[in-house]
Amino acid sequence: MNRNVFALKNSLASRVIFSTVLLSLGVVWLTGSALYSQLSAGVKQVNLETSLAEARSSFFNAQYEFLLVKGAKTSIITETVQEIIITSTEVSLNQDRKSIFLSRFGQSADPLGDEIAPDYSTATDELDITSFPTELRQRVRGSDLVEYKYATVKYKNREDADVLIAGRRIAIPDSGNYEMYLVYSLTNQNTTLSLIKSSLFFTGLALLFLIGLITWLVVRQVVRPVREAARVAQQFTQGDFSQRMKVESSDEIATLGTAFNEMALSLESQITRLENLSRVQQRFVSDVSHELRTPLTTLRMASEVIYGAKGSFDPTITRSSELLVAQLDRFERLLEDLLEVSRFDAEVAVLEPVEFDLVRLIERCIEDVRANAQDHTISVQIDHETEQVMVKADIRRVERIMRNLLSNALDHADEKPIHVSVVATATEVGVGVRDFGPGMDPASLSRVFDRFWRADPSRARVRGGTGLGLSIALEDARLHNGELDAWGALGHGAHFVLTLPIIAGSQISGRPIRPQPKDYPQPI
Amino acid sequence: MTLVMVVDDDQDLAEMLGIVLTGAGIDVDLVSRGDEVLEVFRNNPPDLVLLDVMLPGLDGIEVCKLIRAESMVPIVMLSAKGDTHDVVRGLEAGADDYMVKPFRHPSELIARIRTRLRRTNADISGLLAIGDLSIDVTAHEVSRAGKKIALTRLEFDLLVALAKEPGRVFTRDALLGEVWGYRHSTDTRLVNVHVQRLRSKVEHDPERPQIIMTVRGVGYKAGVLGGS
Repeated sequence: MNRNVFALKNSLASRVIFSTVLLSLGVVWLTGSALYSQLSAGVKQVNLETSLAEARSSFFNAQYEFLLVKGAKTSIITETVQEIIITSTEVSLNQDRKSIFLSRFGQSADPLGDEIAPDYSTATDELDITSFPTELRQRVRGSDLVEYKYATVKYKNREDADVLIAGRRIAIPDSGNYEMYLVYSLTNQNTTLSLIKSSLFFTGLALLFLIGLITWLVVRQVVRPVREAARVAQQFTQGDFSQRMKVESSDEIATLGTAFNEMALSLESQITRLENLSRVQQRFVSDVSHELRTPLTTLRMASEVIYGAKGSFDPTITRSSELLVAQLDRFERLLEDLLEVSRFDAEVAVLEPVEFDLVRLIERCIEDVRANAQDHTISVQIDHETEQVMVKADIRRVERIMRNLLSNALDHADEKPIHVSVVATATEVGVGVRDFGPGMDPASLSRVFDRFWRADPSRARVRGGTGLGLSIALEDARLHNGELDAWGALGHGAHFVLTLPIIAGSQISGRPIRPQPKDYPQPI
Repeated sequence: MTLVMVVDDDQDLAEMLGIVLTGAGIDVDLVSRGDEVLEVFRNNPPDLVLLDVMLPGLDGIEVCKLIRAESMVPIVMLSAKGDTHDVVRGLEAGADDYMVKPFRHPSELIARIRTRLRRTNADISGLLAIGDLSIDVTAHEVSRAGKKIALTRLEFDLLVALAKEPGRVFTRDALLGEVWGYRHSTDTRLVNVHVQRLRSKVEHDPERPQIIMTVRGVGYKAGVLGGS
């Protein structure tokens, strides 16, 4: 049932066929019923008229015969009654059966004193006279005309039958008044009527089937190109841009096909153009990378050689060589970050997951960052619930995220300690990096992951970050299917929370560490 | 004097490398084309080859394969791309180590070269055994049932590092420090590729290693003697 409903909802053809057949069913039903009632009324009328005419003649004949034998001997009268019964029940060609029923009513006529008047009451064919409608019998008794009625009567030896009963009052000499009934079986009429009914029914059925078939053929002509278009469109979404619709005529369907093909062609060329652009872009990035790195390597080495000999220079040149080395460092970091960003933009960044202990990696990052920040006297505390947290992730990227978060925190810590916390569940791990520096307002918070965005432009660039660190960290986290959240409040520091799935690429279902830190007063 | 062959098509970089290496007391042979390497190499065999990946004439990867076919000399690849694909390709072609341009410090390059040149495991001598292999550390030879197995110096160092402490499980980081001389590195590709290469030379069935066992999630350890 559900499947049929589904088919109706999802197939234009089935829906059109279904509704057409349903409407046709109504029309066929109405015309069929009208036709049947007309026909059956006609058949019944003809039958009734024939039967009544015949009944009248029988009654007339009976009355006439009885008049002739009036005053005759009882034996002759009895004989006449027998004769009348026989002639009246003779069936004509198109009649099934005819029964007769005679019943005396009222006072017996002319009692002779010594003799009891004979009673000729009789019923042929084992007719059960109690099943006769009393209403008809009363009418017959009180009338001089032929009365009739359709009824169902019982037979003692046969099934009940639908019949037409015609009755008249008859006087039999030396006996009394009788009701004489002729019972016409309607079996033949009913057979005819049911034949008409079944013919009408099967004609209607055939008509419906033909209408369904025709509708199907017509709908198919319209639906087939639509289905074809849908199939081609589907191939398109799967990346096969070579598919086209067949245009074989010049009607509306052909217009659809032509328009569709034009769209396909334009889409294909657009996509090809974009693909080429992207490929050119990627090659350009790769070339820039190679072309810039080689001279940068030479520069680096040259500057190091000069820097190594700085003791023999005068102070300005010594300082210059120091600046040269530092700026080359910065230039290189910027180049690396830019290349990484362009890799993310070109969507060519790939994940290389390995299994490692996250806690140990974080400890090592803290050591390194601390070693690079000797002039800062900032303490970094790590707080983890378990000794080790094994994760499967791209260790290079996770290390980069941690370095970025730590150096960002060091930049903004205002010499206050930094807290790093690690909380792992069965499916994900959270790493929080909390500083207690000046913090951020909501406007800054919303832009903290933007490229080259700085919370406070007037602030000294203490560590010479590239301005791309947090945005790369966010991309790195998302590449793992993880997330990087930031929280900050003016005067309360900031809290960056990295959430990674234990196995890179699987979904994270929550945050083991909430971005809003526990130490921050909760709004009531 | 130690001789290092520097193969790079960038004249300035090659010259700078020459200056730095000479300053560190190392002789330098400069080659600028890939297809010239083999001739120079045969005429004047160096102690180490510093090989750029992108070369005119013949690709650095191909050059690496050619050198490896006739010599176990240490090879350090120089690559402008840090992408895994190139690095792994270079290592699989037989390079012992690689450096991505630009190097952090020239001293880092010199340290790498020194690590590759020094006789590691100078503190141990005599015979070691790992599985059914016997290692003659002094003679720098590995043999199975009297049959010698040719290993590069790095592969030999890797095998000895594992064999000298048979019970110990080495993390990849520990091996990077011990064999490659890296202090802080997370690049475990080096270890993975070389373990695969070493296995293909010393294992009966590299798919089911008996000599260099993997300890899942941790690293590697030496196989037990007589372990089947």
